[in-house]
Amino acid sequence: MKNIKIEVKDLSLYYGEKKALKEISLEIPRNKVTALIGPSGCGKSTFLRCINRMNDLIPDVKITGQMLVEGIDIYDKNVDVVNIRKKIGMVFQKSNPFPKSIYENVAYGPKINGIKTKNELDEIVETSLRQAAIWDEVKDRLGDSAMGLSGGQQQRLCIARTLAVSPDIILMDEPASALDPISTSKIEELVHELKEQYTIIIVTHNMQQAARTSDYTAFFYLGELIEIGKTNAIFTKPEQKQTEDYITGRFG
Amino acid sequence: MQSKSIIQNPTSKIVYYMTHFEIELEKLKNVIIKIGKLAEIQVSESVKALLSEPIEGKEVKKTENKIDKLDVKIDEICQSIFALQQPVASDLRFIMAAMQISNEIERIGDLAVSVIKRSKNIKDKHDLIAKFEIGDLAKQVELITIKTNECYLTRDENNIGEVFILNRSIKKKSEAAINNIIVEMKSHSKVVVSGTNLVILLKHLERISEHCTNIAEYVHFMVNAKIIKHDKHEDLDL
Repeated sequence: MKNIKIEVKDLSLYYGEKKALKEISLEIPRNKVTALIGPSGCGKSTFLRCINRMNDLIPDVKITGQMLVEGIDIYDKNVDVVNIRKKIGMVFQKSNPFPKSIYENVAYGPKINGIKTKNELDEIVETSLRQAAIWDEVKDRLGDSAMGLSGGQQQRLCIARTLAVSPDIILMDEPASALDPISTSKIEELVHELKEQYTIIIVTHNMQQAARTSDYTAFFYLGELIEIGKTNAIFTKPEQKQTEDYITGRFG
Repeated sequence: MQSKSIIQNPTSKIVYYMTHFEIELEKLKNVIIKIGKLAEIQVSESVKALLSEPIEGKEVKKTENKIDKLDVKIDEICQSIFALQQPVASDLRFIMAAMQISNEIERIGDLAVSVIKRSKNIKDKHDLIAKFEIGDLAKQVELITIKTNECYLTRDENNIGEVFILNRSIKKKSEAAINNIIVEMKSHSKVVVSGTNLVILLKHLERISEHCTNIAEYVHFMVNAKIIKHDKHEDLDL
């Protein structure tokens, strides 16, 4: 793999005594979509949350190894965690807009980052909403509450909110699992378009979604990385039997 | 809930539950085996028609219809699996191979019928067959269809290799026989009609052998995920 954005070296994570991630080493390429798949409890979401240090918020978590983003170990004690999360946005399974207007949801991040002028904010809001493929649906009601949007629209608004602070990397934790097929298809198409500018890592239980949206797929099982490779290869000729059994539904 | 069928291993007493998807795949496999057996019968009948006596056309027609119906059935099963199950990896290869294999088998069936029909129109058939050593070749064509069915059933590399070797031998024998027939036709005009029929018939037999080879190639793809249809078989490690 060339042009590596994230390099993980021997990363292990413990919840107290329990080792939830076991010496994970992998490389995530820049401007590509990497899907993380595996059965529930395999560690894929835990791994995703390691990439922007979200696990720091959980007590009794210990992490060893290295997570190098652009060559910098984000677990180094000199690294500013707020800065990391600015550069690494995250979209969750359940859309979680702020109980504010559509406009305020998107402008919130840039405002915190010090952007004050209305013109500048307007431009960021429009660009972000356009990038998140929701502009046409909300442009005439930017002042309305975000809570009045449908589930699919709320999720795309959350993506717009993530994009508004200009991240490099976007982490998505099952972003379409609670959405109907039309909204799911919009999110998947969006993922495809966003990779031009961002490095995207997506956790999904939906095998077809991983196959449709990603360039690379990593299969996790019991806290271990079993296999990572080009999505086309993983879904046509996986190298490991465990991967084959999982994707063909013959696991366990 | 998925419908399930229970398989019990008699020696280990382990009970394995087949998923609905696995039942569908098993069903598809059984239809392929069935259509393969019918093609084997057709080829065997065509060799009989060529080497010994004319055979009952009614039975051949009946088998041909059965092959056509199963060919359509295979397409329908594959279409349904693609639409409903979204197969991947080995399952995907299995279904892709099934579609191609049924197509090849259907053509084998058609060619066998053509051999039967043409066999009727060859004057002094037995003399010519003996003279141009076609009997051995026809028997090999019968054998290659049996071996092809075996290779689908066992998915064994050795069986695949045997099909390739037989095909080479059939091709060589057919080319030699055709050359000799042409030489004979040039010097004896009275054998031109029978000779031409025999050349066409040999080409049919050659085609049957090639379709068998294609099937072996799809079995290889199914097992090894490698497409070898335009490779030289001599270069393969079989």
